[in-house]
Amino acid sequence: MPNTNLLQGTLDLLILKALALTGLHGLGISRRIAQITNGTFQVKPGSLFPALHRMEEAGWLSSSWGDSENNRRARFYRLTAAGRRQLQTETRQWETIALAMASALEAS
Amino acid sequence: MPLSSRIASLRRNLFTQPRVERELDDELRAYLDQLAAEKRATGMDSAEAMRAARIELGGLEQVKEEVRQVRTGRMLEEFLRDLRYGVRALRKNGAFTAAAVLALALGIGANTAMFSVAYGILFRPLPYADAGRVAVVTMRFFPRDFAFGTLCIRDYLLWKQNNRAFEAPSLFTNRRMDIGGAGGVPEQVQGASVTAGFFSTLGVRPLVGRAFRAGEDKPATGALAVLSESLWRRRFGASAAVVGQSILVNGAPSTVIGVMPGAFRFPRRDTEAWTNLVLNPPTRYGPWFYRGVARLKPGVTLAQAQAETNRIGLLMMRQNPYYKRLTLPVLSLRDALLGPALKPAILVLAGAVGLVLLIAVVNVANLMLARATAREREMALRLSLGAGRPRLVRQLLTESVLLAVMGGAAGLVLAWGAIALVRAWNPGNLPFIDSVRLDGGALVFMLLVSTLTGILFGLVPALESARADLNATLKEGGRGSAASQARGRTRAVLVVSEIAISLTLLVGAGLLLRSFANLERVTGGFFAPPQRILTLLISPGNRKYNEDRAGLPFYDEVLRRARNVPGVEMAAVTDALPPDRQGDADTFAIEGQNLAPGEPNPIISDVTVGPDFFRALGIPLLKGRYFTEHDSRDSAPVAIVSEGFARRFMPNREALGKRIKQSGPGYGDKWMEIVGVVGNVKYLGLTVDTDPAYYLPFAQSYGPMMFLAIRTSADAAGLSATLRREIQSIDPGVTLAQTGTMEQALTLSVSEPRFDTMLLGLFAAIALLLAAVGIYGLIAGWVAQRTHEIGVRMALGAARADVVRMVIGQGAQLAAIGIVLGLGGAFALTRLLKTMLFGIGVTDAATFLAAASGLLLVVLVATLIPALRATRVSPVVALRYE
Repeated sequence: MPNTNLLQGTLDLLILKALALTGLHGLGISRRIAQITNGTFQVKPGSLFPALHRMEEAGWLSSSWGDSENNRRARFYRLTAAGRRQLQTETRQWETIALAMASALEAS
Repeated sequence: MPLSSRIASLRRNLFTQPRVERELDDELRAYLDQLAAEKRATGMDSAEAMRAARIELGGLEQVKEEVRQVRTGRMLEEFLRDLRYGVRALRKNGAFTAAAVLALALGIGANTAMFSVAYGILFRPLPYADAGRVAVVTMRFFPRDFAFGTLCIRDYLLWKQNNRAFEAPSLFTNRRMDIGGAGGVPEQVQGASVTAGFFSTLGVRPLVGRAFRAGEDKPATGALAVLSESLWRRRFGASAAVVGQSILVNGAPSTVIGVMPGAFRFPRRDTEAWTNLVLNPPTRYGPWFYRGVARLKPGVTLAQAQAETNRIGLLMMRQNPYYKRLTLPVLSLRDALLGPALKPAILVLAGAVGLVLLIAVVNVANLMLARATAREREMALRLSLGAGRPRLVRQLLTESVLLAVMGGAAGLVLAWGAIALVRAWNPGNLPFIDSVRLDGGALVFMLLVSTLTGILFGLVPALESARADLNATLKEGGRGSAASQARGRTRAVLVVSEIAISLTLLVGAGLLLRSFANLERVTGGFFAPPQRILTLLISPGNRKYNEDRAGLPFYDEVLRRARNVPGVEMAAVTDALPPDRQGDADTFAIEGQNLAPGEPNPIISDVTVGPDFFRALGIPLLKGRYFTEHDSRDSAPVAIVSEGFARRFMPNREALGKRIKQSGPGYGDKWMEIVGVVGNVKYLGLTVDTDPAYYLPFAQSYGPMMFLAIRTSADAAGLSATLRREIQSIDPGVTLAQTGTMEQALTLSVSEPRFDTMLLGLFAAIALLLAAVGIYGLIAGWVAQRTHEIGVRMALGAARADVVRMVIGQGAQLAAIGIVLGLGGAFALTRLLKTMLFGIGVTDAATFLAAASGLLLVVLVATLIPALRATRVSPVVALRYE
């Protein structure tokens, strides 16, 4: 895997995006991020869990215990209404930045 | 970001921490489980899968710690952890903590209490509108030479006419008043007669009714009265209907027009009634009964007003050649209420308590330095183990603040208790004592000073040692590092300054103590046991007794009934009492004496007494005879003079048989023959050196309001109720006041110096205690550091006595330096006590010596304890030590 340290702030957006369709547990989120970024980002537990707890305390996520696909107990995270708003906001911001960066790099 | 969610998280993280931790643990384990299951699904065996999962997780504890770092309330949690750690550390070092908290508590408590008292008495705004602009005008001149003396109506009118600095000048005089008529049994209160503008000058509004109106001091105005709130509540049940009612004031019908609020107490603290002073056009100079009160015009300072008033004083002297060396001292309202002695005393005490704070602060610094030395190793260890410097700083800061808060809390309790005690007990009979309350500003200031000290002397050295070579520190265990040696020198300097400051305080306290002892030893000039003399002030009430024809038989009856009360040995009337209840004072002339033209004899006490007065008080007869029943209204005028009088005015001449007369304005040509010489009695206070006086017989110098002096066979206090009943049954209008024994009067008269002495003594004792703790700590630390050296010495054959000598020598050296400095400080500072001392000089050698040796003794005892401990060091243990 190439050296892909997550950009500051990118992780939040990825987590929000990963949870946009359905609630997931920690490992699920990690796998989903790998999937939607085509394996570019592998989120380590040491980054994932602090981010999940921080975002939950911020009110964007809620969590509860549930059963995983192979019938194991796991903590599931899902977006709250505030989380959805945050996803929209951050998406817009990211698009602005991406556009700006792209045009900056294309400039001769 | 939703705040409510944050708050919920904070609450959860702080208050249900075990559950939060358990949940985190569960979550991570579940994650691990899942991960392992995933690995197993790819064909790993179960143990290998678990190992791989663990590696991928990257350490359970590390992940947990990462999560903890982002939790809301993380800072608070760390702070609480520091706090717990601090509490544990302080508890482990019980002696250090106790010493530091005690020093802080004493310093903060004593200072907060003293500054609260000083502020309440000296600076808290008076409850009158703009009281700072009001001044009292007094008059001092020869021959009537009294500080804060009085003027007469002519002087007042001249001042009023020429005054430019003041507005709304008014005049007042204190007098005892009988309040009778409506509201029950007549009673005697302190009152004042005041001109119409008095209340508006002082800016006070009545609680009920009205104050005097302009013009109500003109002749032919009716008699009006304003009551104090206390009198109104006590006597009239706080009924508003009292306004317009007629009462009797000194037997004359007067109409009540208003009630003043309880906070207003002027001219005296105990004034309870004010009547309108009617300014009849004066026909002559005198009587000098009055003081002026006025408001400074906007923009005029008290000093400017004084300068202008001085100019008017010159005018007065030009107009009346009788006035010599006349001055018109202008006093602020507060100074007028405080009297001359209290303010300097309180300032001295505040200065002294400041020194106590200094010692407390030095003590804390000292303790902190000692602790920093002891913790050098701990700090170095923690730094080397990777603790961040900011983390250490925060932790030390928490500890310092914790210490300061504990000291502050204990100090607050101490201050609160001390203030409550001072207020309840009022040991100095102090004015404004009820406006004294715990001053928050003072408390915060003290807390700040001591906290900063703690931080400065705790944190800085700790960090310094931490910054130093870690290896060296760890190896030496803080025993002999350069930093700790420098710290030892700093501590020695601190201890020396503690000794010096406490010696200064000790000398001051010693001087006051000896002065007070002198004061208690001084007699008022009477030799009957003071607990067996009962005195009270009688006012006959009914105006018919203003004349001697009715008054003399009235007092004959009073005395007859008093003598019939069982336990009464003698009873006599007088218009003055030792030690400080002066009666009249006037100039006099001696027959045949040649004075320079216009130069009168000085004004001195003239005391009117009944026949048994001298015998009842035990005033010795030196020559001639006492007054007797035969010195009646119609017999030849006679007088008795005091020894001081005879010595001063008739030196080298026989006083007996000479004739004198009162020479003040308005006295006729009544020459009195001196028939006796008696011992000196003090009527102006115990501290006044000589108080020459002459005595007139009651029957020839009648006045309606008299003291009764009663000599009893046993303790006098129990008789007052019976006496009161007997005397009041003569006439329903009779009132009695100021009932008490001579012993009580003497105690009260020295209450201010007693207060000063006790406080300064207390401060000195605290200082001494703190200094002793300081030197004890230093020497004990010194001994602990040298355990090894002492062990070697003893192993090499040093005797125990040698070791003791060595340790005590160390203490004595510091004590000697401190004592020399302290004596110098005392020499420089005790002159501030000059006005407070009686019968002792500010550099009294015996006091200086006693204080120094006392201090030396305490220091040696404080040194002896660690010295003896040093001798118990076993060489074997010492050599193995560390």
